[in-house]
Amino acid sequence: MLLFGKHINKYYLKYFWLLFLGVLALLFVDWVQLLLPDYVGDIVEILETGIGDEEIPYIVGKIMIAGFCMFFGRMLWRYTIFYASHGMAHGVRKDMFAKAERLSRDFYHKNKIGTVMAWFTNDLENVEEFFGFGTVMIVDAVFLSMFALIKMFALDVMLALFILPPIVLIIIWGALVERIMSKKWDERQKAFDRLYDFSQENFTGIRVIKAFVKENQEIFAFSKIARKNAKVNVSFGRLHVLFDVLIELIIGLIFASLFGFGGYFVWCAVNGAQPFGFDSTLTVSKLVKFSGYFDSLIWPMIALGQIVSMFARSKTSLKRISIFLDAPEDIKSPENAIKLENVKGEIVFKNFSFSYPDSNSRSSLKDINIVIKPGETVGIVGKVGSGKSTLANSLLYFYNLASDSVFIDGNDLTKCDIDSIRENISYVPQDNFLFSDTIENNILFSKENGTEEDARKAAVFSDVDSNISEFKDGYKTVSGERGVTLSGGQKQRISIARAFVKNAPIMILDDSVSAVDTKTEETILHNIMNERKGKTTLIVASRVSTVHKLDKIIVMKKGEVEAFDTPKNLLKISPTYQKMVRLQELEKECTEGGSN
Amino acid sequence: MSDSNQELEKLFGDRKYPKKVMFKRLYGYFKDQRVRLFVAFILMILSVVCEAAIPYLAKIVTEKLEVAEGQPFTGILTFVIAFLIMSILGQVFLYFQSMILQKAGQKVVYKMRMEVFSHIENMSQNQLNDMPVGALVTRVANYTQSVSELFTTILINLVKNFLTIIISASVLFFLNYKVAFVTLVFVALVFVYSLIFSNVIHSLFKEERRAFSDLNTFLSENLSGMKITQAFNQQVRKYKEFEGKSDYVRRIIFREIICFGVYRPFITLLYFSSVAVTFLLSKEFGVASATAYAIYLYLTRFFEPVQHIADQLNGVQKAITSSERLFSLLDVPPEVLDSEDAVDIDHFEGHIEFKNVWFAYNKDEWILKDVSFEIKPKETCAFVGATGAGKTTILSLIVRNYEIQKGQILIDGIDIKKIKIKSLRKAIGQMLQDVFLFSGTIKENITLHDESISDEEVVKACEYVNADKFINETEKGLYEEVIENGENYSQGQRQLLSFARTMVHKPQILILDEATANIDTETEVLIQDSLEKMKIVGTMLVVAHRLSTVQKADQIIVLQNGEVKEKGNHQQLLKQRGLYYKLYELQYQDN
Repeated sequence: MLLFGKHINKYYLKYFWLLFLGVLALLFVDWVQLLLPDYVGDIVEILETGIGDEEIPYIVGKIMIAGFCMFFGRMLWRYTIFYASHGMAHGVRKDMFAKAERLSRDFYHKNKIGTVMAWFTNDLENVEEFFGFGTVMIVDAVFLSMFALIKMFALDVMLALFILPPIVLIIIWGALVERIMSKKWDERQKAFDRLYDFSQENFTGIRVIKAFVKENQEIFAFSKIARKNAKVNVSFGRLHVLFDVLIELIIGLIFASLFGFGGYFVWCAVNGAQPFGFDSTLTVSKLVKFSGYFDSLIWPMIALGQIVSMFARSKTSLKRISIFLDAPEDIKSPENAIKLENVKGEIVFKNFSFSYPDSNSRSSLKDINIVIKPGETVGIVGKVGSGKSTLANSLLYFYNLASDSVFIDGNDLTKCDIDSIRENISYVPQDNFLFSDTIENNILFSKENGTEEDARKAAVFSDVDSNISEFKDGYKTVSGERGVTLSGGQKQRISIARAFVKNAPIMILDDSVSAVDTKTEETILHNIMNERKGKTTLIVASRVSTVHKLDKIIVMKKGEVEAFDTPKNLLKISPTYQKMVRLQELEKECTEGGSN
Repeated sequence: MSDSNQELEKLFGDRKYPKKVMFKRLYGYFKDQRVRLFVAFILMILSVVCEAAIPYLAKIVTEKLEVAEGQPFTGILTFVIAFLIMSILGQVFLYFQSMILQKAGQKVVYKMRMEVFSHIENMSQNQLNDMPVGALVTRVANYTQSVSELFTTILINLVKNFLTIIISASVLFFLNYKVAFVTLVFVALVFVYSLIFSNVIHSLFKEERRAFSDLNTFLSENLSGMKITQAFNQQVRKYKEFEGKSDYVRRIIFREIICFGVYRPFITLLYFSSVAVTFLLSKEFGVASATAYAIYLYLTRFFEPVQHIADQLNGVQKAITSSERLFSLLDVPPEVLDSEDAVDIDHFEGHIEFKNVWFAYNKDEWILKDVSFEIKPKETCAFVGATGAGKTTILSLIVRNYEIQKGQILIDGIDIKKIKIKSLRKAIGQMLQDVFLFSGTIKENITLHDESISDEEVVKACEYVNADKFINETEKGLYEEVIENGENYSQGQRQLLSFARTMVHKPQILILDEATANIDTETEVLIQDSLEKMKIVGTMLVVAHRLSTVQKADQIIVLQNGEVKEKGNHQQLLKQRGLYYKLYELQYQDN
């Protein structure tokens, strides 16, 4: 009963000799271990009868040799088997991370981060445990118990037959309870996870809870979860204790019957009686040896019961890991992909339609036809949910596109190498995710050996340099939970700086200046015009004011392009744009009229 | 989970407590359970006595068997039965002892968790901003557990193991004091050896936990930010970083393996040696065979508890650290509390007044300097100024997220310190810059589990804020799933949901802090229209960078570096040709 699967088999091969050596050492230890009861029995016999007194130092010497053999044997199997199992875990963990990097957005929307994390932690741990400790348990359970039973039968068949049933009882009991236990264990873990997740989300969103005065309600909800935890823990504890106590009881019972029946056999032997019609030759020292063998049997018997459920548990875990490692990588470069080089920045959408694979809540695109010339700065506007971001983001190839629908410099994106596409795009996402690292490293994300000067230049571009300089540690300030809390506007601007450092032929700003004030927005737009002259830039925006000075504007409406033209022409042809401008102008005119 | 210094610093007041004070305080939690603890203690002693009697009974049986010739078997059987009874009794006592402790322990964990959680809920925004969420969660979930284990598992087992050793040792001395003395030397040896090893392994474990926590933090962050890594083609670099961290974990585990690989086998070696020496001495001192056997059995019983004691001493240390962290969190008093004479108010007219308000997040770094203004009921007031001028701060002071240092804030003529925080925040609806969505459904995010809000009301609120359109397009409508942080919705959609959430709670005063930044102008106008139509909202306070959003306000307050520079409506301010005029010009030049 070993754990196999295509993702870990290679590690059995890789560590074959280590595992082989470990198992040999284990077998050796199992054999030596059972010599001790023999020695003890021999000595008891000598002391009892007083015959062979001079043998004692000799036997004591043998005990010492056995001790040293145990010492080195145990050391050896621990080093070999556990080295292999943790080596395997390290390898699989790396395989998993590499896989995580190849998976698409679609996968991350379908699977919670917490779930993926559990595969990396709990499940991998289960597999590692069985790979290492499971191997030890199996070898011990099979061989140690086999050796012990052989010795028992060799010593006294009658007695061995008498205590065989309770031994079987222990194994059955162990298997049974382990099965129930692991169910309870899951239940307990689930209750704890619920408590953990609830607290985590509550503390993260505490602003909302405070704003809506939901503290008491949350405390009440928490109390239910905490009570459930207490309940589940007590019932788990009960089972656990019951299991231990009953095992101990059975063991006590066996020892008692050993002394009972064994004692009776000895008594019969001494007094010449025939127990159950047999001749008994049992002596006290044999009884001592016998109980010693039994003592060695206890652990493998308990292990035998546990192995079954441990195997089931780690098999499930391995299955989950395998499903993850085999998950389809739906975003892949085609064979013989075109590597985009020296990109000029022409973008063409031809009869381009698109919808998200995972969600119908997000906007889809219909029949987009647009040609953006190299070096143009183009705005994308439209109502919430009109598909502005979807259109701009489609260039990054996070989702599969239909062939012959989106082109950069005339190359169909579906035929291009995806890395090379992304290499040519400086991207500022809507949600401003920063790593909890220094601001400098965040800005220089795409330029590993960039200097602080490079970071500063980019920060000046996005008008965040003065803010950063105000921090005590300047560019070395760590962002995130363990460092300073940055405002939404600061994060947006650092995120713009990060994209600027990349200095790609195409830049996409996805509603990225929404949280900055007018003056800053003005500065950033101005910098874009100057610094990105000759390079293509797409700016998704909610306001006309952000885009009205750009070369051209795409006006989106319900997933379609209503118009694509210069701001001036749009005023004539696009009703949506007209309305947007009118709404803004109206406010302006009526107030300006009054101010004159 | 990490023990970094930063975390310690962040939970200001994380400090050492004198042992006496701490145990007294800890005992406070177990006071209710003292009868249970006492009974468990008695049961524990009984079970130890039973356990210790077993080898002695084995000795008597062996002894009797050696001289069994001519004796009746019943004489031996009596002791075998006694052996059985002791085994059973010992386990029965153990069962009840463990169950009593389980129950007591869980009651204590529950009590502590409730206390810690409620405490966190009651702290002010300012205080919570400084505490990493992970550190708080660990305190609620893990540290409470390890504190309760101190009494229910660690201490009781520590006492139990000591008792087992003492009782076994006494019996040994009774059997043969010379041999007992030598075996005790081995016991002492194992004890010292375990203690040293336990310290080594403890620090290795600590390092392992830290390394794992580091690895998992990295992992969780990078899974969340995978989009960025992929967009910037940094997979190789991130993989290398991950490999480094995983390899570090592996190296620490190897050190543990090496440690354990010496430790456990060496204990075995000591055990074999002690058996060897005992028997050698038994011969020297002329110990009878049955007694030698009994000594051997007791010796076996020594080895387990002695090793455990060392672990448990470390466990005590761990529990002490956990309780120190808990106590230092509990000892941070909530900054913002209801004053004793605070009143409940159901309805606000919406008259808001700031009188010479001074405020600083950190001592002496004044964010607001002598701010005074008045907003009449039903007025809309807008705050304008550069980033960091103090706009958002003013809004969060009105709902008492922070306490002001000087001056007074009045609503309807009552100092807000005299109004129950609950009724204050209930009346004031807040729409904040960063939208936070909980995982769950759209409806749950709007009602925030308030079951008194009907589906109709939710639908209505969604219509008002124009969120109904995109909600209706989803498969399950109001019951459509929202994933962590609302990532399956665009920023604009999230703002609309958050708007619906605010409206469904029927605010009397409304705060909008850049609430419509990602919403297009047309939708924004629609929202503003419906706000007017709804008529439930009286006074409105608005912060917006875009002047188009603010120019209709009855009053505009222009802030600069925490001071009020200009006040008035749009036209008045334009005429002044001051700060506001400059901002206005900037936004609309050559348009």
